Amino acid sequence: MTEVACKSCKYITSEATVCKICGGRDFTKNWYGYLVIIDPEKSEIAKKLGIRYPGKYALTVS
Amino acid sequence: MSRFFVVKTTANQERLVANMMSMVAKKNKANVYSILAPKELKGYVIVEAESTEDLVKSIRGVPHVKGLVRGEVSFNEIEHFLTPRKAAEQIKEGYTVEIISGPFKGELAVVKRVDEARNEITVELIEAVVSIPITVKADHVRVVDKKEEVE
Ligand SMILES: [Zn+2]
Repeated sequence: MTEVACKSCKYITSEATVCKICGGRDFTKNWYGYLVIIDPEKSEIAKKLGIRYPGKYALTVS
Repeated sequence: MSRFFVVKTTANQERLVANMMSMVAKKNKANVYSILAPKELKGYVIVEAESTEDLVKSIRGVPHVKGLVRGEVSFNEIEHFLTPRKAAEQIKEGYTVEIISGPFKGELAVVKRVDEARNEITVELIEAVVSIPITVKADHVRVVDKKEEVE
């Protein structure tokens, strides 16, 4: 089970079909850095990155 | 108000620790807002939490946690991890690189072209009899010599 990241919002998933965060269909296995957002309302990091939903995200994708 | 703490982990287990901590934090109702594992930071994760008590609740029983780094870090100190520079921006034509993944893993090559937008570089293998340019992701090489080639 390879985890891939959505190329537009960087959400990490093992199902490379449609991104449940942004609806994107372009995924990559080349992603770096790791971020778990638990509470996007209170997280300064989520605010800074414009993340609105909890989940796992990459910091960079290529 | 968020505060930022650093947790020491076993090297290469940073993601596992981040996942486990997020589950433990929910179970123990700890006010932990995010957990960050930048690739540059081996053996550490950064935890965004309300207080030290919340941090402690979120590491309870989590394997591969080796301890807490004393004190806090400021948002300014971690901000640069959030917008990492692309690998291609740090590579120039003429640099010697080692390919670290894919079929040419372990080969040395000279950089012929850098495409920052695609984060790709075109290289020629040093050992190859006939030099055929190959294009690889900039993240798949490691710079070994920054001396730019003299034509
Ligand atoms: Zn997405």
